[in-house]
Amino acid sequence: MPNTIDTILKVSLNHYLVLSAVLFTLGVLGVLLRKNVIVILMSIELMLNAVNVTFIAFSRYSGNIDGQVMVFFVMTIAAAEAAVGLALAVLIFRRFKEINIRYFEHLRG
Amino acid sequence: MNMQLLKDIVIVSPLIALFALSLFPVMIKVFRGNREPNPYVTLFLGFMGLSLATGLTAALSGAKQTAFSGAIVFDGVTAWMSYLVYLITAVSLMLSFDHVATKGRQFAEYVFLMLNSVLGMIVLIMSNDLIVTFIGIETMSLCLYVLCAMGKEDVLSKEAAFKYFVLGSFASAIFLYGVALIYGTVGSTVFPEILEAVGTLISTNKLFLIGLGLVTLGFAFKVSIFPLHAWTPDVYHGAPTPVTAFMATAVKASTFIAFLRLFNSDGYGDAARFQGVLEWLAVLTMLIGNVAAVMQDNFKRMLAYSSVAHSGYLMVGLIAAGFGSNFNAGATSVVFYLFSYSLMTLGTFALVAMFERAENTAMSMDDLKGLAGRYPLLSLSLAILLLSLAGIPPTLGFFGKFYLFSAAIEQDMYWLVFWGVINSVISVYYYLRPIVMMYMTDDQPAEVLGAHLMTRMTVVFTALLVVLLGLASSPVLKAVQRSVVNLF
Repeated sequence: MPNTIDTILKVSLNHYLVLSAVLFTLGVLGVLLRKNVIVILMSIELMLNAVNVTFIAFSRYSGNIDGQVMVFFVMTIAAAEAAVGLALAVLIFRRFKEINIRYFEHLRG
Repeated sequence: MNMQLLKDIVIVSPLIALFALSLFPVMIKVFRGNREPNPYVTLFLGFMGLSLATGLTAALSGAKQTAFSGAIVFDGVTAWMSYLVYLITAVSLMLSFDHVATKGRQFAEYVFLMLNSVLGMIVLIMSNDLIVTFIGIETMSLCLYVLCAMGKEDVLSKEAAFKYFVLGSFASAIFLYGVALIYGTVGSTVFPEILEAVGTLISTNKLFLIGLGLVTLGFAFKVSIFPLHAWTPDVYHGAPTPVTAFMATAVKASTFIAFLRLFNSDGYGDAARFQGVLEWLAVLTMLIGNVAAVMQDNFKRMLAYSSVAHSGYLMVGLIAAGFGSNFNAGATSVVFYLFSYSLMTLGTFALVAMFERAENTAMSMDDLKGLAGRYPLLSLSLAILLLSLAGIPPTLGFFGKFYLFSAAIEQDMYWLVFWGVINSVISVYYYLRPIVMMYMTDDQPAEVLGAHLMTRMTVVFTALLVVLLGLASSPVLKAVQRSVVNLF
């Protein structure tokens, strides 16, 4: 019994990888399935942060500091992306009075 | 130590020049109390930035150099592709200056965004590290999302911008996940180390293979390869035409170069299944692009699908470079094709821009009826550009395709070349249709086009280049070859 508890308590690289894969998949599903613009933006952020978890886990378990530096770049880019995304969402809301992507169907053919 | 840093900064000086000059138009606007500066001044500042960057690039080109501990590489391909991107941007700025959807109220911001998008592209072309590639892609794309939305037209451009934003960020996140997995398995994101590890890891390590697949998907989105091509017609249609011209050419050129750098390794030789998947993607991209283009009546959407098809042809060269025994032959053909494709597409989109009188008019095939009667020079230019896109000799497009397919034949990839040729034949139908409209239906005279001096010059100038470079294609190819062989 103590043996099982030990294995559960000892968090390994794979635990982190699975966690980040689950988070990433949730983000992907959010982008693909949800119709609300704001929720889609949040899902994209979730995807980027899942990647950050991967970077840090790999970096921690291999003793290579590069991965943790990359996270800073990713966070900066994510912030810029959120700024542009929200600006576009505001613009869209002003024109369409709607933030549901079901109504964006003027481009077809 | 400080000398090293200085040297690194000198190597990225074109980027610094671009960024510094891009600030001038917006700064002038701010200091004048948010009043739009004279558009000629703005345009001139934009050209200043581009020519300064071109000059610095020319001054720097020579032996292969790396900077920032190998994260940035400056070689012959960097120089060539930078010139191409600067040229495309200069032309796109001229088109934007004339075009009804982009000129006027916010031209200063527009030039700022365009130069910064170019900055991202040059980072992408120079990058020798996956994380730098990611930053390049994002800088380029974030500016492009806003550029798409900056058209004066209310519905289509906004919708296109948002669609592009959501799908683009989605693809970037997938790309980044791939980078993380590659980092975890290789222990580094620098290209030389990854390329060295490919040979052993690709057949033994599943995680590495997944990472490579995700990175490929990320690139595939940006250059509209089959499973991720669906945004292309919508966004190209909705965005203002000068922006579309810029996206269709510069983005594709710079992204393909980064993509090509990832395949500069002998290690892919054993990865038959990966190769098989990429080959199928190339074939499906060509087929879907061409078949959908045949059915289009909107000229801009037709060109969008044709650009999807051209991505498929480029993939053929990429596969020949990556999986064959001779990387340089494939890489040369891809670089050459990017040049020819960009020139042809720019000219054609410039003509589309001339037809758009108001910001929400869409040009259809019927608008071309009887054009030859009223505008003989323009019609001749468009005919040359379309024949070149179809790949009919002696235009540049023919030689581009010829080198691409012969590089693949050298590597015994007959199956791919077979599909490439079949698709070129399909494409002749929809490229010839506008020519038939222009020359063979003279029952009604074409409508009078606006003056658009610079746009008109662009159409004629690109058509001229397509013919001249086509006739002189072998010296051009030799020059490209030298830059690839010595310095890649």
